[in-house]
Amino acid sequence: MDWLEQELAKTLSRKEPAAGFDGRVRARMHRRPRWLAIAATILVMMGAGEAWRQHEGQLAKEQVMTAMRIAGSKLNRVQMQLKGTEQ
Amino acid sequence: MRPMLTLALGAALAASLWAQQFKFNLDHLSSKASDSFDVSLNTSMLKFAAKFLDGKDPDEAKVKKLIVGIEGIYIKSFEFKQDGGYAPADLARVRNQLKPPEWSRIVGIKSGGESENIEVWVRNEKGRVTGVAILASEPRELTVCNLVGNIDLESLSDLGGHFGLPDIPKVKKK
Repeated sequence: MDWLEQELAKTLSRKEPAAGFDGRVRARMHRRPRWLAIAATILVMMGAGEAWRQHEGQLAKEQVMTAMRIAGSKLNRVQMQLKGTEQ
Repeated sequence: MRPMLTLALGAALAASLWAQQFKFNLDHLSSKASDSFDVSLNTSMLKFAAKFLDGKDPDEAKVKKLIVGIEGIYIKSFEFKQDGGYAPADLARVRNQLKPPEWSRIVGIKSGGESENIEVWVRNEKGRVTGVAILASEPRELTVCNLVGNIDLESLSDLGGHFGLPDIPKVKKK
């Protein structure tokens, strides 16, 4: 065996990993990146904000519609009365 | 911190009072009323609400068009289980604020054996309608409305034909 063969055999020989290596690999595979958590939080906050905006918008719309119904019904009574007077 | 908060609240209150063209002073009726409706919508709230009005719905489309010229809607409406839930002085306090030359009563009706009374007042500034007040009273109901803005009376009259109610002749301007 010449020196080259010896070097190759030495380099390619089977080596056992350090203790706990497989555990560390598995743990890293299961660990989600931090940015993912941040992005998820931002998305949830944006979703909640939009839901709140929709809720407030619907509320405002209902208030406008009710206000118009009230004002409209009073004017309607006035107009009905005027119409009756004219006839 | 507290002075800043007080200042901010004061500014908000001043802004709301400025937008509303007369004071209602009817909060004391809330506890007596069996049912009440209280709405204060300023320009920004109206613009916000307009975004949610569906242009495909006939009623909502009309309202969406109508509120374009309106800068504020302020309404207090109370219903009572029995007569005398409010005093005539409550209404008089509101009416006394509607003074010429700004305010003029364009119509007032009494019906139902004079138990129902509705007055429509218009605020004019430089020949332009800038507000409308509606005072409506029945023995068991009291409603005060203030619609602020450059309101087109024709459009406002069209309100009478909204929501399935029949269209009837326009209110004549005096």
